[in-house]
Amino acid sequence: MGTLLIVLTYIAYVFIVAVYAIKVRKWLKLPVHIRWDLYPVIHEEQYRYGGSYYEKPEWWTQPRPKNTGRSLWHALKDNFYMGEYFKRNPLYWLFLLPWHLGFIFIILFHITCFFAATAMVGGVTIASDSPQLLGQIFYGILMAFAVIAFIGGTFGCIGMPVIKLADRGLRSYAMPMNYFNYFFFLIVYASGLYSWLALDPTLAEYRMYWVGLITLTPPDLNPATVFHIILFDIFLIYLPFTRSTHYITRLLAYFKIRWDDEPNFRGSMLEKQLNDLLAQKLSWDAPHILKGQSWVEAAISSGLPETKPETKKD
Amino acid sequence: MIRKTGIQDFTKPGGQVAELEPADWMKLPAPYDQMDKPLKKLTEDQRKRMDATLDGVVAIGILPPSMPEEEKAFVDRFLAGVEKLFDAKDNWTFLQPLYHSLEYCVKCQICSDACPAYVASGRQDIYRPTMRPELLRRIISTYVKKEHPLLRKFKASNIELNAQALIRLAELAYRCTLCRRCAQVCLLGCDNALISREIRKIFSQQMGIAPKEVHEKGSVQQIKVGSSTGMTPPALADILEFTEEEIAEKTGKKIKIPVDKKGSDILLLHNAGEFLAWPENLEAFAILFDAAGIDWTLSSELVGYDAVNYGVWYDDVQFARVALRHAQAAKNLGVKRISLGECGHAHKAMIVVADRVLTGELNIPRESALPLMEKIVMSGRIKLDPGRNNFPVTLHDPCNMVRLMGIVEPQRRILRKIAPQFREMTPHGVENYCCGGGSGFAIIQSNNFPDWRSSVSGRMKLKQTLDAFADAPSADVKKYVCAPCSNCKGQYRELFNTYGVWEKSGIFYGGLVELIVNAMADLKQPFIQWEWH
Repeated sequence: MGTLLIVLTYIAYVFIVAVYAIKVRKWLKLPVHIRWDLYPVIHEEQYRYGGSYYEKPEWWTQPRPKNTGRSLWHALKDNFYMGEYFKRNPLYWLFLLPWHLGFIFIILFHITCFFAATAMVGGVTIASDSPQLLGQIFYGILMAFAVIAFIGGTFGCIGMPVIKLADRGLRSYAMPMNYFNYFFFLIVYASGLYSWLALDPTLAEYRMYWVGLITLTPPDLNPATVFHIILFDIFLIYLPFTRSTHYITRLLAYFKIRWDDEPNFRGSMLEKQLNDLLAQKLSWDAPHILKGQSWVEAAISSGLPETKPETKKD
Repeated sequence: MIRKTGIQDFTKPGGQVAELEPADWMKLPAPYDQMDKPLKKLTEDQRKRMDATLDGVVAIGILPPSMPEEEKAFVDRFLAGVEKLFDAKDNWTFLQPLYHSLEYCVKCQICSDACPAYVASGRQDIYRPTMRPELLRRIISTYVKKEHPLLRKFKASNIELNAQALIRLAELAYRCTLCRRCAQVCLLGCDNALISREIRKIFSQQMGIAPKEVHEKGSVQQIKVGSSTGMTPPALADILEFTEEEIAEKTGKKIKIPVDKKGSDILLLHNAGEFLAWPENLEAFAILFDAAGIDWTLSSELVGYDAVNYGVWYDDVQFARVALRHAQAAKNLGVKRISLGECGHAHKAMIVVADRVLTGELNIPRESALPLMEKIVMSGRIKLDPGRNNFPVTLHDPCNMVRLMGIVEPQRRILRKIAPQFREMTPHGVENYCCGGGSGFAIIQSNNFPDWRSSVSGRMKLKQTLDAFADAPSADVKKYVCAPCSNCKGQYRELFNTYGVWEKSGIFYGGLVELIVNAMADLKQPFIQWEWH
């Protein structure tokens, strides 16, 4: 059983990383698009009121300072706060935030377990009264992450279907998959919550499990903990089939679409890319577009009926 | 009483999906709260010629196919268009934002209350920003990806398509002003307004279907005769002559409007609507630039004298054609830069969107005229007397300039300097509400669409404007809405005419440059004449 658990865990992690990577790569491989920025653009100097470099006369002659760090912070903090929801639908936010915190912190918990187990292999004792400070820090972080994940996740999974059924707008767009997810994730979090509260108050079993994963030594765990770990592995395998990649793609959308205000200057790399895209052939069928023309040819032509070349008669 | 509408209602043949009743609409302040009338019903003949089963309103006017084989061909053609939407050659222009929005929207509905049309309609389900994307998403799942029926059931992504459902979808794409307020509140970076535009694109680029005012009488006419208004180069010459005479009459100044002046610093692009409907805007630019010693010119080249680019609302190819001709006109004149007059969509089209279409020598620097106006006003080059603008003024933020380009403060800094009674609307700046005439709505005049535009899409803006002047409701106090956009002015004119706002509340509308010129101390009489038009 212990060996199976190790194998399943490795498969689950490899799977989720690989599928997420494929999805992100697919997103990033899409061609450069027409600018479609939306203000405020957070890296801009005047981001507080939504101003852009277009507010300056002859803007192309002026410096365009960019604060990427601020943009990154702005985008990341919403993963943990979701301010727009709080502002616009506080009741929904009340359940939505813990539901998301459950996801984030259960994964952070396991990642931290890995590092804590690595430290244990190196001789550090992880406990509240550990002689090493590092052991005490790890212990505190692990407890905090697990508590937020198990309690937040459970609360969110109970509250989300309730709010979804109670709100007509949400209900009319809900799909069976949503309710399946709430149920399945509830079991994942609740099993973790039970095993922590009833059997393993210091979460020592998870650290043993991770030491086992690192040293390839099947650990001897309580069945309730094993049950939770199996569910968590399935959860990792299932996640890429949901819209969960939005934790990452929302950042890409912010940086590559909403805040993409990079101007196209003559002779730039961007211009080269655009020239390649504009040379591609069109296949739209409407009468004002001549099939087989490139974008450049189509733009030069007027598309008016009388200017279309006549079909050759044999 | 609003009937609850679901996705399934779109595919049901026959009856209307949603009924619009004045009693459901968002309330306006008195005395406008007693003025709403039901939207004009289409005649029997109109109903035979065009499908109005979405909401009883017609923007496009599509004749439903009568024979089963015609219907199949109609649906197949649309589906072929959906596939092209995901082709990197045919739609590199918007593929990435489209893919992201369709794939990652979680339908949380946070965008619904950000949409002025949805809220003003009394929260009609069909106007939720998520409705159009959801219909497209289901079409893709069922007919393009052909997902397994069980998976479709699990994801509630099944749809039984017919021509009427598609016609309703086409009409629905023209119930969104593309103001992108919905996108602004989305934490996942999804853009449901863009999906409205992409649906319009399938109908236009694949099926040749678009409102005639936008395509046939819009971008096609512009390319053919030079302007979407039908104004030809000789007509332009006549109008400019008249404008010079008007300037002389109003101000005593003899100003020659420069046309085709090679090597000028600036090519100024005006929306042709200004030449015909609001010549005072054109006059004010000429007076201001003359007084400030700006080296500028207009172009008389075909397309080069009309800044509009309707393609930005519905068709990438038409967009590229018009943008290319604008740039070519500038190149032929050898100007150093292009400056856009008071037209929001032309700003967005030429300065931002065209930035990734124009390359090489056609990539001529382009900017808004607003920062230039600010520079002139702040420089002290012309003497301004704010006392001449001592009446209540509020500012409308055109979505294209503000939320979509980040030009927020120059117009405000000008108003703070020259209009002592300037006050903001709520909300304003990048969170503004659309005038309700965006994305082509202001020019669509057929059937009963203007009724819908005034009663529903423009309702929030009317309320916001009235609220901004709540401290001076009397018609005796003349008030001014500064709307630095030709399209928005068109919508204001329509709104104010429909509700009699000028007569009842004394609210006038106009551009920004007119206010600046009105404050010019050396003019003998006020430039703004308060004559309703």
